[in-house]
Amino acid sequence: MMRKSPCLLLLLLTPLHAQERLSYNRDIRPVLSKNCFACHGPDEHAREAELRLDSADAALKGGESEKPAISPGKPEESLLVSRIFHSSAKKVMPPPDSHRQLTAAEKDLLKRWITEGAVYEGHWAFQAPVKPALPQGSDLNPIDRFVAATLAKDGLAFSPEADRATLLRRVSFDLTGLPPTPEEIASFEQDREPGAYERQVERLLASPRFGEQQAAAWLDASRYADTNGYSIDGGRNQWLWRDWVIKAFNDNKPYDAFLTEQLAGDLLPNATEQQQVASGFNRNNANTHEGGTIAEENLVNYVADRVKTTSEVFMGLTMACAQCHDHKFDPVSQRDYYRFFAFFNTVGDAPHDGDGGNNSRPSIMAHSCLANETEANGIRAELQQAKAQLAQPDPAGLAAWEKGEREDQAKAGKDFKLTPLIAESATSPNGDPERIKIEDDGSVSIRGGDYAAYNVMCRLPQNGQAVKGIRVEFLPTEAAKGKLGFAGVGGLEQNLVMSTITTSASSFPALNVDLNNSLPMARISASASQEGYGPERLRDTTPTNGWAPPTGSTTPQYLTVTFGRPVDPGSTPYLTTELMFNFGGSASPARFRIYAFGGADDASPHPADVTAALAMDAAQRSPEQQARLEAYFRTMAAPTAALRYRIANLEERLSVLTQEHSVMVMNTAPKPRVTHILERGVYSSPKDEVKPGTPGSLPTPPEPADRELTRLDLAKWLTRPDHPLTSRVEVNRVWSAFFGKGLASSPADFGMQSTLPTHPELLDWLATDFMANGWDVKALIRNIVSSRTYRQTAVASPELQKRDPRNDLLARGPRFRLSAEQIRDQALFTSGLMVERLGGPSVKPYQPGDLWRQISHYGSSPATSQTFVQDHGEKLYRRSLYTYWKRTLPPVSLAVFDAPNREICSIGRASTNTPLQALVTLNDPQYVEASRAFAERLAKLGNNDDSKLAECFLRMTGRAPVEQELVVLRGTLKRERERFRADPAAASALLATGESPRDPALDPIEHAAWTQTCSLLLNLSEALTRP
Amino acid sequence: MNAPLLLDRRAFLGRSACGIGGIALHSLLAEGMAMAARGEEVRPEMFQPIAPKAKRVIFLFQSGGPSHMDLFDGKDSLDKLHGSNLPDSVRAGQRVTGMTSGQSSFPVLKPISPGKRCGPSGVWISDLLPWTQKIAGEICVMRSMHTEAINHDPAITLANTGSMQLGHASAGAWVSYGLGSENKNFPAFMVLISQGTGKNPDQPIFSRLWGSGYLPSQHQGVILGAGKEPVLYLDNPDGVTREQRRATLDDLAVLNTRFGEQAADTETMARIQQYEMAFRMQASVPELTDLSGESQETLDLYGPEVRKPGTYAANCLLARRLAERGVRFIQLFHRGWDQHVAITRQLPNQCRDTDQPSAALVMDLKRRGLLEDTLVIWGGEFGRTVYSQGQLGSASSGRDHHGRCFSLWMAGAGVKAGYAHGETDDFCWNITKDPVHLRDLHATMLERLGIDHNKLVFPYRGLDQKLTGVEPAKVVTEVLT
Repeated sequence: MMRKSPCLLLLLLTPLHAQERLSYNRDIRPVLSKNCFACHGPDEHAREAELRLDSADAALKGGESEKPAISPGKPEESLLVSRIFHSSAKKVMPPPDSHRQLTAAEKDLLKRWITEGAVYEGHWAFQAPVKPALPQGSDLNPIDRFVAATLAKDGLAFSPEADRATLLRRVSFDLTGLPPTPEEIASFEQDREPGAYERQVERLLASPRFGEQQAAAWLDASRYADTNGYSIDGGRNQWLWRDWVIKAFNDNKPYDAFLTEQLAGDLLPNATEQQQVASGFNRNNANTHEGGTIAEENLVNYVADRVKTTSEVFMGLTMACAQCHDHKFDPVSQRDYYRFFAFFNTVGDAPHDGDGGNNSRPSIMAHSCLANETEANGIRAELQQAKAQLAQPDPAGLAAWEKGEREDQAKAGKDFKLTPLIAESATSPNGDPERIKIEDDGSVSIRGGDYAAYNVMCRLPQNGQAVKGIRVEFLPTEAAKGKLGFAGVGGLEQNLVMSTITTSASSFPALNVDLNNSLPMARISASASQEGYGPERLRDTTPTNGWAPPTGSTTPQYLTVTFGRPVDPGSTPYLTTELMFNFGGSASPARFRIYAFGGADDASPHPADVTAALAMDAAQRSPEQQARLEAYFRTMAAPTAALRYRIANLEERLSVLTQEHSVMVMNTAPKPRVTHILERGVYSSPKDEVKPGTPGSLPTPPEPADRELTRLDLAKWLTRPDHPLTSRVEVNRVWSAFFGKGLASSPADFGMQSTLPTHPELLDWLATDFMANGWDVKALIRNIVSSRTYRQTAVASPELQKRDPRNDLLARGPRFRLSAEQIRDQALFTSGLMVERLGGPSVKPYQPGDLWRQISHYGSSPATSQTFVQDHGEKLYRRSLYTYWKRTLPPVSLAVFDAPNREICSIGRASTNTPLQALVTLNDPQYVEASRAFAERLAKLGNNDDSKLAECFLRMTGRAPVEQELVVLRGTLKRERERFRADPAAASALLATGESPRDPALDPIEHAAWTQTCSLLLNLSEALTRP
Repeated sequence: MNAPLLLDRRAFLGRSACGIGGIALHSLLAEGMAMAARGEEVRPEMFQPIAPKAKRVIFLFQSGGPSHMDLFDGKDSLDKLHGSNLPDSVRAGQRVTGMTSGQSSFPVLKPISPGKRCGPSGVWISDLLPWTQKIAGEICVMRSMHTEAINHDPAITLANTGSMQLGHASAGAWVSYGLGSENKNFPAFMVLISQGTGKNPDQPIFSRLWGSGYLPSQHQGVILGAGKEPVLYLDNPDGVTREQRRATLDDLAVLNTRFGEQAADTETMARIQQYEMAFRMQASVPELTDLSGESQETLDLYGPEVRKPGTYAANCLLARRLAERGVRFIQLFHRGWDQHVAITRQLPNQCRDTDQPSAALVMDLKRRGLLEDTLVIWGGEFGRTVYSQGQLGSASSGRDHHGRCFSLWMAGAGVKAGYAHGETDDFCWNITKDPVHLRDLHATMLERLGIDHNKLVFPYRGLDQKLTGVEPAKVVTEVLT
């Protein structure tokens, strides 16, 4: 069975009707291209025996033997036939060492084609599409006419229309990326007037979610990301461009304009701000600021990526193959490649750029195109309300917090014992080792300001006592003018700012901290702190944030860290601490000493006046002291953090809606770089100079005498009505989003190696109709989703599945797994957690640990995004297309579901089925929290288990459960109730997952049991499927 | 074999980015952890004209560029040349990175530590690697490796994916794709990461180094981490027990089976198996990382850091345990080899981290009979310059990147033991005998697994993509028995 499968594959490539005349494009060219063209094709450097088989003239003429390789109608006189059937290994073609081999069926096919006259055809995708006549038939939608005609040839017919529940779930996901609500399902079910389905389609097309769903795929294609990609992979800000994409889809921007603005928005006459933003498409490429890399090489890489992306996305042509040599299969020479390259080489970008989270040049400040005053006013009102809420006295909250803090203070200093440690090693990975000195007293001094991480290793005292934590004391030195540090920043003169502190213990003298075993920090306190630089800031690994002692201090100041678990000096006698000074501005310390301590830290995590006020009875405090305490509670204490996050998030949103932000765009350099053909694609081997131009084998654009062609000319050329590729490639890409695969199965490769479309006439009809309709994307989509073809049930008989396993013939509806984004979005949406906001900067929802720091350059670079700092509040619940995309470590829970890393353009995703996916939807806190919130949502519906189960089922699958299913779910619920009743602590533990608040009035046992049940329903295979 | 299911899996794959007929048959099979889960043998005969010598690979990747003349290619000539300027005739126009291109002189720096001639081949191994010296009779040192890349990102990408360009599949993903899984409790390709103490933080690494590129994403390496949750999302939520999870999965299977049958959806049937494997992994991973069954003698062999999760030593022991459990491709990434500065301080630390555990792994595999069908590779993305970066003799000086020649070693799976391959000139700058490109290493690795590197292809973007890329690659038969 297994070994036969390749033959089955072949069957699909061969005519399904044995007596039909062979077609060069359909039957012959794929065989020749795969087996012969590498040596007898368009690449003249690789050509053997001067023979070319990809053109009729050349094949008829023959190669150096001067005998025709092909003699039409006369296989016996055709050298090709004698060589492919040759029995000698020395003579047979393809030669065995090419690792290519023709099957018997392929040999027969070639012979038969020559017998039939060896008629060559131009490559279908390089011929301008001509609108084909509609086949006869009763279907109104032209798509269905073409599909029906193909089906009829095979004696097949359409499958019945899917039921309404299935249809609505299908079209809702396809158009908006979210499932239908129970209300929408009911409204569709009840609408028995003609046009009910069409009304749903119109509603979905008009939803702003439409743009988000369509943008998601475009972000893959245009390799959108939030980091620079190469090497250090620091952060960038390109979300304004993403906003533009969303709006373009929502506004139904015609595709020719969509293309033109992205390729050449900056070159349009009187280019608007948003047209410039659109040109950011060609700045989405990876780049680097790393000094060791070679400037010319970087610039070649950047432009090569623009060629690759532009040619694959808009033309379905793999031009990247011609960077080093003429294309092996497609008529793209190396000269063509570098002429195309020249279009993008005129930009004024820099080879090393984009450090410190700043966008690389050229960039502009611009507004989000999604900004609108209505939302801004709403945000202003919300902000006002949230700030008022924070300002509102909260005596009960304050009292509870005070009680906890007083208990903490009561323990402070108990059995506290400090032991000074002797630094045995002090290093900095990238800093100058001569700068660091271990003093005679075991302290460490630094000569001059630096930007560095200092790793200090000390031996712990072997007195049998557990080490509860460390204290780092900062000392004044003469070099620092009698102060504690070297900062030259206003307000922080001669101070230090510590960004993070990380400690590990080991059995051997580890000179560097071990990130895999860093000791958790239970409590951080300081002797005193500069306003705005409290010790709790050390928990946040953001470089620009940290702890500083009061500026101007001339006496020692210290920081104390209590570990989450004590260190046993017996088994791990060495302690290594990394003190990170990433703040910049030379804000590094002059001298410091590390102590170990036993007992409880005697210092307070709060400023002295707050600590003093806390120690007093409320009645004894002065009004000023009380006010200070209340203010501190509002601005710093844990219980008010959620409200503060809310305010910060709202303020950021208001800024998105009202302020300008940076975005990378294209421009033309004052002195554009000259483009040369590069031998073997190597930057250091420039050959002939070339001017911008398009591949010679495609229709050529008019070349003005007085100037060079520009990207705008390129866009105009791509959108001419006789361009053979642009429209076909786009309608095929759109089609594939709705059917899981394109009519042409390789959406980024319409070249000679691609397989023929399953429905070539339909593809051409759609392509020509698309242009005739003014490149109207929504009209195209409306046409597709309204078709009978699209609306068929996906349930197929075993016979049909066997006959057409890939559904090439479209005799049934398309069914596939939801995308990574859709799976997460569905959980957020159905549970009611989702916070929908259109556009804006990327967000960082839950991700386990700090995976970024494990692989990054943290501590050696001002680049951002070297550590993962999770967001809070609404940013945990935004739609997944807004999730922060770090290229060298893309969001893990999305990557598990086949999301690409976006280092390069990728069109269409694989759809795999793996155990890691199960672990995500079962265990990721995002999904556990969604189950908990879903359960809370259901609890509001009352006490009828069946109706709540039905509601949850409906939201997750789009249909009501049947009795058999309810029986299983009742069992689940019963079992989970019993389980949590027996172990209420387990219920509380489960319900503690996630940061969203839970209604404390709900019975924890009941809530936990329902959480488990909702989790089960979130994991239904049906729930993961777009039916 | 259940034919309809197989056909449908192809249908399913046909929807992938790469599409029609693009998926080689064996990948459909390799696809199937679900199939492997049913105990079906999935060896792709069509790609195995060669009898496999290796069932698995352990790639001990030393990220940053270990210094070849300091570790494996020291020679007397360097003592004599120490302090002299590297002649232009030797440098031969080799481009240097932006970090030393401005340097006015290029003084030769001899190996920072003495070494010994070891094993039957008499290969020079530094005294910084006393344990590696002990296994000299088991390993084959390749002294004539070379690469075009001279900066980390392209170099490490080439060493791990066969190309300096972004977007290609990693070696482990290729092997997973080609051979599938050999077990039903673990993914086929697992990755373990450690930080060197020589330099921290060192150059970054990237998930593309174990990514699947254009191959289906289930072939990407799965990280086995050091925290309490070694595989991400492995643990049940707090408050949920294993029994509870089992019962939930049973209910889920009932509902899914009903749906799968009614909707004739074989994807759903496969998904039920994936959930079962996830459940098994929840037991098999903790069992893997629980070292309580290891003897004290074994733990001692790997050295004092072996008990500390996330260290190179712990990862080496886990590599052996993964090998025993049938994981096809096990890759360690150890950072910290980028000694631009302070090489005399940093390099000994790097060696101390890695020397004993690497050697222990080879010894341990050997005594358990696993070395004969496990290919172990130790090496990085390039070597380092013979000349000093920074002032010769300064404590802060180091060596820059060097791609024209570098050293690595292999062991097991019928690779010649106690053998040295290739030679470099007196300056350890140019190869004088038997050059081996990184793609030749990839070809050789695949050959050991029974795969012809020219036949393990994946059609993508109009090209039959291969791990070894478009340039010719050759199996280094001279080092094979």
